[in-house]
Amino acid sequence: MMPRRTMLFVRRELVSSLRARWFVAYSIIFVVAGLLLTTVGLADSVVYGYRGFVKAFAGLVHLALLFVPLLALFPAVQAIADERDSGALEYMLSQPVTSGEVYTGKWCGVSAALLLSLAIGFGVAGATALLNGVPLRLIVTLFTFVLLLALVFVAVGLCCSTLVGSKARAMTAAIVSWLVLVALGTLGIMVAFVRWGLPEAVLVLWTFVNPIEAFRIGVVSTMDADLSVLGPVGASVIQRLGQGGTIAAALLSLVAWIAGPGVLGWKLFGAERASG
Amino acid sequence: MIHAAGVTKRFDGHTVFRDVAFTVGPGERVALLGLNGAGKTTLIRCMLGLVRCDGELRVAGHPVHLDGRAVRSRIGYVPQRPPQFDGTLAEMVGFIAQLRGADLEHIADRLQALDLPLEEFGEKRIRVLSGGMLQKVLLALALGSDVELLLLDEPTANLDPRARREFLRAISQVENNTTVLLASHRLGDVDAVANRLLVLNEGGIAFDGTPDELWAGARADVTLWIKVPPERRADARERLRAGCQLASVQANGAAIGVTVERHARADVIASLRAAEIAVQDFWTETPSLEDLLEHVLTPRTASVSGGNG
Repeated sequence: MMPRRTMLFVRRELVSSLRARWFVAYSIIFVVAGLLLTTVGLADSVVYGYRGFVKAFAGLVHLALLFVPLLALFPAVQAIADERDSGALEYMLSQPVTSGEVYTGKWCGVSAALLLSLAIGFGVAGATALLNGVPLRLIVTLFTFVLLLALVFVAVGLCCSTLVGSKARAMTAAIVSWLVLVALGTLGIMVAFVRWGLPEAVLVLWTFVNPIEAFRIGVVSTMDADLSVLGPVGASVIQRLGQGGTIAAALLSLVAWIAGPGVLGWKLFGAERASG
Repeated sequence: MIHAAGVTKRFDGHTVFRDVAFTVGPGERVALLGLNGAGKTTLIRCMLGLVRCDGELRVAGHPVHLDGRAVRSRIGYVPQRPPQFDGTLAEMVGFIAQLRGADLEHIADRLQALDLPLEEFGEKRIRVLSGGMLQKVLLALALGSDVELLLLDEPTANLDPRARREFLRAISQVENNTTVLLASHRLGDVDAVANRLLVLNEGGIAFDGTPDELWAGARADVTLWIKVPPERRADARERLRAGCQLASVQANGAAIGVTVERHARADVIASLRAAEIAVQDFWTETPSLEDLLEHVLTPRTASVSGGNG
C-alpha cells in the first residue's frame, strides 16, 4: 500500500498531466498514427492475406520505437525540472514529506499519465486490429512491451532531470541519451560489427543492454519465431536463447532499465537533503 | 526552539559558514541579517533539512538530519521567491493542507484575515496572483497549520512598498507563542518584526543582540524626512539647523531631510511642533545594511560581537 503522502503526489502529478497539452497531443498522435498504420497495414491483408497483418504489426512497432522514447522523456524531465525552476519543488520539500515520497509520487504520476495516453492511442489501434481478426495475444504483448518501453524512458528522464540542475540541461541530457540509444546504439553497433568484425556474442549482449533493441527483439520474437525479419542479429539471438529465452531476456532488460535509472534518480534526488 | 552548535556548510570546497552557534527560544522574534551571499538562505535551508550541513542543528528538540519530517511539520516556511504552482489557489491550498495534515477551514480563516478569502480568490490561477498575494498565501498556509516556528527567507525582497508593508504588518500580528526567524538584508523589515538580531557575516555570527545594541554599536545616524507646509519650510529649516543634535540638513523638493541619531527622531518632530510648524508627514531613511555593518564589524569590539564571529 502506497503511503498517503506519496498518493497525494501521484494524484497531483496525474491531474496536472491530464490537463497538460502534451497529454492531449500525445493521445492524438498515437490514435491517428496507430489507426493509420493499422488500417493501411490490414487493408493489404485483403490482397495478401496474413502478410498484411505483419505490416500493421511492424508499423505499430516502428511507431513505438520512433515516438514512445522521445515522448516519454519530455514529461518526465518536466516533472522535476519545471517545478525546480519555479520554486515549487523546494516549497513542497519544505513540508513534512520525505524526498522519497515526492520522487516516487512524481514517478508514478507521470508514468500513469503516459500509460493512459498510450492506452488511448494504442487501444484504438488495437481495437481496430482486433475487429479485423488480429489475435488478442499479439495485441496485448505489443501493448505490454510499449508500456515497458515508455516506463524505461520515464525513468531515464527523471534520472536526467535529477542529475543536472536546469531544465535546459536536463532536456539536453535526455535527448542525448535517446540519441545514443536509438541512433548511435543501433547504427553504431552495426557499423562496428561490419567494420571491426565484433564477436557475435557482443552483438547479442548489446541487444539486451540497449533497451530499444531489447524492445524490438522482444516484441518481434512474439510474432516471428525465427526472427527472420531482424536479420542475422535476430537469428543469432534466437539460436542462442530460443523464443522464450529471448522474450524473457528482453523483458528483463526493460525492467532493469526501469529500475536502474529510476532508483539512481531516487537516490540522487534525496542525496543532498539532510533528512529523508 | 532552534539550537545550532558548530554548524558548518561547505559547497564545492567553498565554506558558506563555519562553526555557527546560536540558540533561539520559543516565541522569540529574530532577524537573521546579512549581506547578499552571507549564507542566510543556506542556513534556513539547513534548518528545513533541504541541504546537509555539519554540526549540531536541532529544531523543537529534533535533530534536523535524523528527523526531518518531524522538524518540517513544526516549521512554516515562506521563501524569497513565491513558488509558481500549476492550478488554482484552492488546489494549492488544498494540496499543502493535506500534506501538512492541516485543517482547511483554519487555513481559510487565515486567508480571510489576510484579505484573501478563498471564496473570492480560490478559483484564480496561481500564476495570475501577485507576488504579495502569494507571500500572504504562504504565510496563511504556515500559520493555518499551527506551526511553532516561522522561517521567513527575505519574503519582502520582491514586493512593492505597499505589499511589503502589508506583509510585515501580517507578520507582526503572528501569535506570541510562534517563534519567528526572518532573514533579510533590509534594516527596514527588521524594526517591524524582530527584537533580536543575528548578523551573519564572513561565515560566522558577527553580532547577536537587540536592534538597539546594534545601532549603539554602529553609532550610525538615520535620515529623517519631514514634510511641512511650503510657507513654513524656510522657518523649519532654520530651526532644524539650529538643533545641536543634527548632523546635517538638506532639502529634497517638498521635504526636509535631517541626519539624526535614531533615538532623536521624536525630539526633532517635537521641536517643530513646539514652534507651531505643522508636520504634514515624516519618514525615516535608514542606512543600508552595508553601511551599518561597516560601522559594526570593522572594530569587532566586545560590545558588538555577541556571537561566535
